Amino acid sequence: MTDATGAEPVQVMEHLVSLTYREPLPPSTVRFGEALIAGRILGQKCPQCGRVFMPPKDFCPLDVIMLGPEHDVEVADRGLVTGFTIITPVRYYGQTKTEPFIYASVLLDGADSTLGGQDITGLPVEQLRMGMRVQAVWKAQADRDWEGMTTRGWGSVGGSIESFTPTGEPDVPREQFLEHII
Amino acid sequence: MSSEPCAIIGIGQTKHSKARVDVSEAGLVREAALRALEDAQLTFKDIDAVVVGKAPDAFEGVMQPELFLADALGASGKPLLRVHTAGSVGGSTVIVGSHLVEAGIHERVLVVAYEKQSDGNAQWGLGGGRGGSIGAGGAFAPFIRAYMERSHAPEYIGWMVAVKDRLNALKNPYAHLRIEDISLEKVKESPMLWDPLHFLESCPSSDGACAMVLTNAAGARSVPNPAWILASAVRSEMGQFPGRDAVRPRAGVECAHDVYERAGITNPRQQIDVAEIYVPFSWYEPMWLEGHDIAELGEGWKMTDRGDTEITGSFPVNPSGGVLSSNPIGASGMLRMAEAALQVRGAAGEHQVDGARVSLGQAYGGNAQYFAMAVMGASLDAVSG
Amino acid sequence: MAPVDIAIVGWSQSSLVSAAPVSEPHLCLQTVTAAIAHSGVGLREIGFTCSGSCDYLSGGPFVFVANLEAAGAWPPISESHVEMDGAWALYEAWVRLQEGDIDTALVFGSGKSSPSDRAQLYPQQMDPYYLAPLGADPDSLAAIQARALIDSGKATERDFAEVVQRSLRNAKSNPNVVQSGDFDIDALLAAGYVNSPLRPHDLPPVTDGAAAVVLATADRARQLTDRPVWIRGIDHRIEPHYPGVRDLTSSPSAALAARKAGIGDGAVDIAEISAVYSPQEIILREALGLGDSVAVNPSGGALAANPVMATGLIRIIEAARRVADGSARRVLAHAAGGQCLQQNLVCIMEAE
Repeated sequence: MTDATGAEPVQVMEHLVSLTYREPLPPSTVRFGEALIAGRILGQKCPQCGRVFMPPKDFCPLDVIMLGPEHDVEVADRGLVTGFTIITPVRYYGQTKTEPFIYASVLLDGADSTLGGQDITGLPVEQLRMGMRVQAVWKAQADRDWEGMTTRGWGSVGGSIESFTPTGEPDVPREQFLEHII
Repeated sequence: MSSEPCAIIGIGQTKHSKARVDVSEAGLVREAALRALEDAQLTFKDIDAVVVGKAPDAFEGVMQPELFLADALGASGKPLLRVHTAGSVGGSTVIVGSHLVEAGIHERVLVVAYEKQSDGNAQWGLGGGRGGSIGAGGAFAPFIRAYMERSHAPEYIGWMVAVKDRLNALKNPYAHLRIEDISLEKVKESPMLWDPLHFLESCPSSDGACAMVLTNAAGARSVPNPAWILASAVRSEMGQFPGRDAVRPRAGVECAHDVYERAGITNPRQQIDVAEIYVPFSWYEPMWLEGHDIAELGEGWKMTDRGDTEITGSFPVNPSGGVLSSNPIGASGMLRMAEAALQVRGAAGEHQVDGARVSLGQAYGGNAQYFAMAVMGASLDAVSG
Repeated sequence: MAPVDIAIVGWSQSSLVSAAPVSEPHLCLQTVTAAIAHSGVGLREIGFTCSGSCDYLSGGPFVFVANLEAAGAWPPISESHVEMDGAWALYEAWVRLQEGDIDTALVFGSGKSSPSDRAQLYPQQMDPYYLAPLGADPDSLAAIQARALIDSGKATERDFAEVVQRSLRNAKSNPNVVQSGDFDIDALLAAGYVNSPLRPHDLPPVTDGAAAVVLATADRARQLTDRPVWIRGIDHRIEPHYPGVRDLTSSPSAALAARKAGIGDGAVDIAEISAVYSPQEIILREALGLGDSVAVNPSGGALAANPVMATGLIRIIEAARRVADGSARRVLAHAAGGQCLQQNLVCIMEAE
């Protein structure tokens, strides 16, 4: 349908918006990031329930109490894959991925909460399985940075740890991690 | 103190599609609202309060759009609430609206839920506005994998649900996806987006709106076939914490038990005639059947396998085609409630389940952490009568 | 059907500062635990929880979900959320309590305004076809409203300055504000305009903060405290969105909400109102019928601290606390949403 001048009516208008948010990292995220650069992974142990949250949040959401640096503990850089998927990326404005990627949850030894969104390298994708024991593949110290440290979520290891890789140890039986799938 | 019963006397929805470029946001919500009002034989003037629900505003790029939609929804001079509970919002919006009636605060409430997600980009939105979005499928795929392993269900169960819901959609003139030649083969061959979910086992991204008119017992006398909200319940739990069973979330189990108890349902499998459940990825059909104690643990997939969940089966699930056929995210939860209500009103047209008198509507959202459920009945005593 | 009597039995505000060093969930957790402690209700006993926040303000889709970690959401809770100021979350909780099957509710509202620039952000809240592309920002819209008020003869720039002087003087006795002090009217008027006819002090200070309130039904409220603050009436109304079709010099929705909330049933001693820009206080005084005998914003109001998404809930708290401490008998609290007072909520509370 055209108007009297023969022009097509406007159906869609494009309105591109860029909003900037500047927020200081919470103190717990700062401590987590500094430790990662130094090659350590921090968790935080709740004095009430004893669970170790990783990354630290400066509170225990299960007991609903505030925590602090005095509750920080170190967790191992090895653990097991509790759940995973392989994502085929779709195009969208701002998309950074072009190839299928693994998205796995890893439960580090000493932690009670899982680390999500990890890549697993060093094995064919078809062999990836729940329960597999894995070890962090660290970036060289000089290459570590604060990437992924935002105020959305509690911090990411991506700036210091590239991926996790199988250790070759026997798989952990399902029953032992049924409640850590994510 | 007892509360006033709440009835649904008008139901409207839009044609759901990938991109409703023929309407603005206002046009989209009005299409559903006007249909609901017409169904109830009312106009905007008869409405006392409006409750709007939708998912994150980043999907359309408008912050708190209910403010600019107040005019389009005839809300000037009225109370307007905006509910936001992620994917379950369409369901929780109905429940918030029903409380306004049950508490005797308003006589006629218009509830509207929508998403015009073609205006933005849903994958970007679901990814928190960053690259590397895993989408909703990426978040749920590990849970689905865990269910498949726990239950030892055969891999074709997901494909069966995908086929069933798309064939049902062919009987629903509003449904987005209309895949006439859908088949198990076609689903199996479709690309893997979020391993182990195939493309055709996943919901589409849709634009759409749904609206309903809620009223009290006196107001319900104006239509011959109101749907009664016999009971409702909501539950939320945190999305990630040590000890969480993300496959069968406790919030889903407790929400179901709460709504069954309030409705007087002791045997949901027998006492519910039809269910509209939020199944955005095929495997969620057996997962929610178990997750809401309709089937025993490990038995949900067998209901699908046996054909129990077909329209003609013993426990029809998603006769409308469900979320797998239309998914305007903010509206989907309300569409479940609306379709469940249509069933007990006998107004579901070609996808009507014969003799449906008690129905279940369910919506979930977030990291499978928010639940909104309602039991609807053709009469106030539909469960026991 | 008689409405169920509901009282406010506990509350808390976070520190209201121009930039909080902690995250929004932290602010929520602090206020939730403090309000719960104040009320004497156990967190796990709460029958229903409702929160208010805004994803776009918080800076991302689904950001409100993280606030659930502050609410004790394990074991699972009966809970909901509105994309509105916590005052509307309180309204939803009040409605829920009317069902009569539960006797307590927890409400909280939160927002950090410091990470964003309101001139950049709030045009997104306007009609996307006609107003957002103009960059219709809140300070400009408020200035248009102020100009309309002056042109109508209802107020002068001096009147605006007097609102500011009174508010910031009142704020001196409130330890929890971003700004306060004694200001000379002529000195205020000597400042240059930021958005004519508005000057810097006519604008709300950027504030981060959260607040929480605990509600209880009658019998439970009396068990918990000798001084329950009864909600006698609560109502909210919205007007058309487009500034061009409204009379910006008046607030019919605030007047209607006040009427429906029962303002006619008795004079109020104190009114805590969400006048985010100084001219709005003049409009609201008229709409709400607040005469000279009513103390308006003894807390300093939103000109002293404006934690968006909690501002309205804090007005309710500031009014309620003055009933609980005996300094007022019957009070009004007001919350606003949208621009130029498009949406208004009025809550009237009273002592036993």
